[in-house]
Amino acid sequence: METMRVKPGPQELQAQVMAAGQCTACGMCAGLCPYIRFAGDRVRIVYSCGLEDGNCYRSCPRTPHDLQDLDVQVFGAPREDHLLGTHRDIYYARAARAVRPAAAQYGGVTTALINFAFEQGLIDGALLVGGSLEQPLPRLATTPAGVNNCAGSKYLAVPSLANMLTARRTGLTRPAVVGRPCQVTAVRRLQGLENNHQAAPGPAPNLVIGLFCFWALEAAFSAFLTSRTRSRVTKMDITPAEVIVDTTGGPLSLSLDEVRPFIKPACHTCFDPTAELADVAVGSTEAIPGWNTLVVRSARGEELVQEARTARVLEIKPYGAERLPLLREAAWRKKKRVLEALAGRPEPYLRLPVDYQLAIAGEEVMRDEYYARSS
Amino acid sequence: MGTPGDNFNIVIAGVGGQGNVLACQMIGMTAVEEGWQVSAADTFGVSQRGGAVMSHLRLSRDKPCGPLIPAGQADIAVGLEPLETVRVLRTFGGYHTRVLMNSRPNYPLAVLCGEAEYPPLDELRQAIREHCREVVEVPADQLARQGGSWVTQNTVMTGALAGTGWMPFAIETYERVIKSLFSGRVHQLNLAAFRVGVRATSRKTGAA
Amino acid sequence: MNTMRVVLDAPGQVALLTGNEAVARGALEAGVNYAAAYPGSPTAEVLECIAAGAEMLGVYVEWSVNEKVAMEGAAAASFAGLRSLTVMKCDGLNVALDFLTSLSMAGTRGGMVIIVGDDPSAHSSAKEEDSRYLGRVAHIPVWEPADSREAKEMVKAAFDLSEDIRQPVMIRMVTRVCHASTNAVLGEFPRREVNACLGPEDKFITWIEGHREQEDKLRRAAHRAEKSPFNTYAGPESPETLVIAAGPGSYYAEEAVAQLGLQTSVGVLKLGTTWPLPEKLLRRYLRPALKVIFVEEVEPFIEDNVMALAAQHLDEIGRTSFYGKKSGHVAGINGVGLGELTPSQIMAALANVCGPDPAHERPAPPGWPELAGRDLAFCPGCPHRASFWAIRAALELDGRQGIVLGDIGCYTLGKGRTGYYLLQTMHAMGSGVGIASGLGQLWRFGFSQPAVAVVGDSTFYHAVVPALINARYNQANFVCIILDNQTTAMTGHQPHPGTGIDPNGNPLTAIPLEAVVSGLDIPVTTVDPYQVDEAIQAVYQAVQGPGVKVIIMRRACALIAAKTSAAVRVYVDQSRCRGDACGCARFCSRVFACPANIWDKAQGKARIDEAICNRCGVCASLCPVGAIVVEQYQEKVG
Repeated sequence: METMRVKPGPQELQAQVMAAGQCTACGMCAGLCPYIRFAGDRVRIVYSCGLEDGNCYRSCPRTPHDLQDLDVQVFGAPREDHLLGTHRDIYYARAARAVRPAAAQYGGVTTALINFAFEQGLIDGALLVGGSLEQPLPRLATTPAGVNNCAGSKYLAVPSLANMLTARRTGLTRPAVVGRPCQVTAVRRLQGLENNHQAAPGPAPNLVIGLFCFWALEAAFSAFLTSRTRSRVTKMDITPAEVIVDTTGGPLSLSLDEVRPFIKPACHTCFDPTAELADVAVGSTEAIPGWNTLVVRSARGEELVQEARTARVLEIKPYGAERLPLLREAAWRKKKRVLEALAGRPEPYLRLPVDYQLAIAGEEVMRDEYYARSS
Repeated sequence: MGTPGDNFNIVIAGVGGQGNVLACQMIGMTAVEEGWQVSAADTFGVSQRGGAVMSHLRLSRDKPCGPLIPAGQADIAVGLEPLETVRVLRTFGGYHTRVLMNSRPNYPLAVLCGEAEYPPLDELRQAIREHCREVVEVPADQLARQGGSWVTQNTVMTGALAGTGWMPFAIETYERVIKSLFSGRVHQLNLAAFRVGVRATSRKTGAA
Repeated sequence: MNTMRVVLDAPGQVALLTGNEAVARGALEAGVNYAAAYPGSPTAEVLECIAAGAEMLGVYVEWSVNEKVAMEGAAAASFAGLRSLTVMKCDGLNVALDFLTSLSMAGTRGGMVIIVGDDPSAHSSAKEEDSRYLGRVAHIPVWEPADSREAKEMVKAAFDLSEDIRQPVMIRMVTRVCHASTNAVLGEFPRREVNACLGPEDKFITWIEGHREQEDKLRRAAHRAEKSPFNTYAGPESPETLVIAAGPGSYYAEEAVAQLGLQTSVGVLKLGTTWPLPEKLLRRYLRPALKVIFVEEVEPFIEDNVMALAAQHLDEIGRTSFYGKKSGHVAGINGVGLGELTPSQIMAALANVCGPDPAHERPAPPGWPELAGRDLAFCPGCPHRASFWAIRAALELDGRQGIVLGDIGCYTLGKGRTGYYLLQTMHAMGSGVGIASGLGQLWRFGFSQPAVAVVGDSTFYHAVVPALINARYNQANFVCIILDNQTTAMTGHQPHPGTGIDPNGNPLTAIPLEAVVSGLDIPVTTVDPYQVDEAIQAVYQAVQGPGVKVIIMRRACALIAAKTSAAVRVYVDQSRCRGDACGCARFCSRVFACPANIWDKAQGKARIDEAICNRCGVCASLCPVGAIVVEQYQEKVG
């Protein structure tokens, strides 16, 4: 259904997304087009191509789209779980010791799954974020060594989908993407173009591993980190209480108040903290060191996880029953804030069917009742 | 209509980088060998960077002449590129002008950028026929490739000019000049290109 | 250019020489000992031709860092009693002018000749300056040849005059002499023993007393000009109309007289010694003439001086009408006083002044099709195209309306389509850096745009270093990008101090750009412009934050690289090119604007013109669908 009166091209992308501070630096547009380049987390149109219709606009996670349509496209049906999105299972997981790189975050599940997918021939490349925490960069890995070099969360908004260009040029046909929720959405929108739009550039990624993300940091955070320590940063972890930075000169603790100013403004309007459209989504457990939360969403995701488990690449155990409400509540709070923020906007990027909206509001009613009862 | 005077005027047109200068030198040196007074004026320098270039070659039996041909007084126009052929003919051509043209287009940036049209070859051909005495076309790019190298289109065209019989010089004189200009493999390539050119037009025009 | 015929030791043989070759030959026949130049069109080839004879004839030949230093070196040789030649274009004379105006006050010793190339119509220049005025300012004789044959003889005579009056003599060449070949008879090479030395009395000091000597020397030169073989008259004893012409215009004038059938009433006085003027000779022909027409290229130099002479001798010369640029009767190809002269325009001027003659009227017949113009473009594969694309992208990415400042070199074309219209200033060698140095101080007045000055490698050594010192010392904020194609490309690939070779290709020790910049305590990074994304990042990073920074974009000129590069073929795989459905809006052929990237109308796909492609492969790295293939292949034998 085409209700937009605007021309879905680069000019509107510039107006609605880039100039409006809504760009999440996913990098998809830069991965499709020779006229969109990036530096750090800054993505800009560098040449006006003159076209009034473009994949840049149509695959952007921040141009208007309908979430239910995407659910149907990816999973074949609208979602039932409105807080965590469609999923089949949720686990604690970690990579088997033999395949876990030292730099891996928590349980190293993402690195292990990507390498496993390589071994299985499921993918022939992976769009990842590598480099250092001081200077994270998009990377296109085509070998396990390349994947291992990218292990470890960067927490910065890196437009890693820009490497779609390189993937296409180098003739890859089955790349995987590891990305933030916005990047997962971009990939799904691109896949959607293959059905609905004449000019999808292909190849669309074959496997999408989403990362939990409540917000990402601007590139300027790297400079801030460098100003706080002269040592090389080896790892970073964001907990509900603080930001812990491991450096070659010992650990450094930053308060959330110090970090918050570097949150990318677009993240404040993100409705999706758990990569709801991914094949599998991976996050921290915030409870058990050395393990990840693993949300299995699609059939492909389920198959991959089961095979990895059988091959003893992945260890899996049930998700803690006591943790689930906490995760759901965190997701709900974020979604509620975003809905409120978007409610005031004339043309919000996210279109939600009434039941999707009511589900979040309904949750609120339910909670209010719960708190009313318990007080 | 001014008379062409005592001078025999040849204008060579092309695009920077096509080798106008060399073609002009080959013909000019051949003329000197054959005892003519020659003036051969080229444009080079910045014009080599894809701009329109032309060479004015003026031959006289007795006294030296100035570097540029007066408007409308080219006896022969050699075009290394169709659009440029027409461009010089507009200024230097006349009903007496004989035209030898490489039929391979080289597109200006404005055409590539979609801001201008390259006229259809037939239209250019027709215009030349209407305004000039005769036109002989040579697919110099293909002939150059046959001769062994893309870059010898200018030498092919020099050969083609020699082959038309429009010039009062012996083929051997050109070949002597080519030998004096090049050595080794480059000489072989250019000599081959020259001969391919000669054959291409001597057949068409029935000249030697 | 064929340097061999310039150094052919075959006296009496007739050779077809360009004006530049003829100057070189004339200098060698005059026994020049020392030749120094900075390359500039239209006279760039002179030094290369002399270099070809350097070893055989014992000449020292140098590509100097700039024209002033070249002239100073040539003056040194003159002081030591040697014959020296320095060559430059008109812009170069501006650079050397400070020294020249001093030099002519102190005088010279051995013969010293200055060759200056003016470029009417600016075929390979930015401006069509008339350098004759500068010769006059410097109080030195200025001569103008009409063709190669005359240029060769003039150079030899100029050395003699220089030694006679102990002043440098300037020869003003124009493009249509420099780049036009005519028959010239080769002379002999002298066998001279030379011994350079300065005696205790050989002093060369610029001081005010020198002014009187300058004037005396000019009077001697004027006296000699009266009998100069380079001033000739053809026409009736007492011409009704006198054409005073110099340079190639004298040929056009003679041809026009003949074609208009005016031989009985119009005479042509061709001047070779334009300054100081042969006044008696001029008065002799001005007396009978009722009308005088001036034919000279660019400015009314002779016209002004002859009219002043006529005014001074009004009683003798009587009432005469003058036609030229002042009256609007004699136009260059771009208008009155604008652009080079053409035979047709001189014919029109003569017909106009001597009575209209329809014979010359020849309106272009109708019916020619409209023709697309042909913009100058970076050559296929030119690293500048990639550099300009990267700079443009980086500044757009930055988003603060960055300003790009240019100067003189192939990259000057960056002002046009081929460089995405990027340049906002373009003046003289190195001046972009000086201007950037000024812009880099304007933050205190609210200026917040990044400034990027692009310079060539040769330009860097020529004129950029002082501006960079200024910027670094005074803490200006800007980025200087050295487009290092490892040669002086625009003028025909001459070496410079970064290349490590002399004019004959013998090794010298290079002075690396990085060493110079680092020595100025300026941060420098080097990138390959063919790696476009890396280049974009380098420029983007550099324009963030204060201070002066240098980026070297290093990649050999494509014209040189194409001769030596590996066996590579670049072509479009049309099965992968998506044509107009791609969404790239014809990036390779329409936007990147490399002449080798063309549009295949029949297929509706991109194509590469392999006849002109220099196989750099940059388009392959930018095509969004990877449809351009760079293929290595084994070169076929035979």
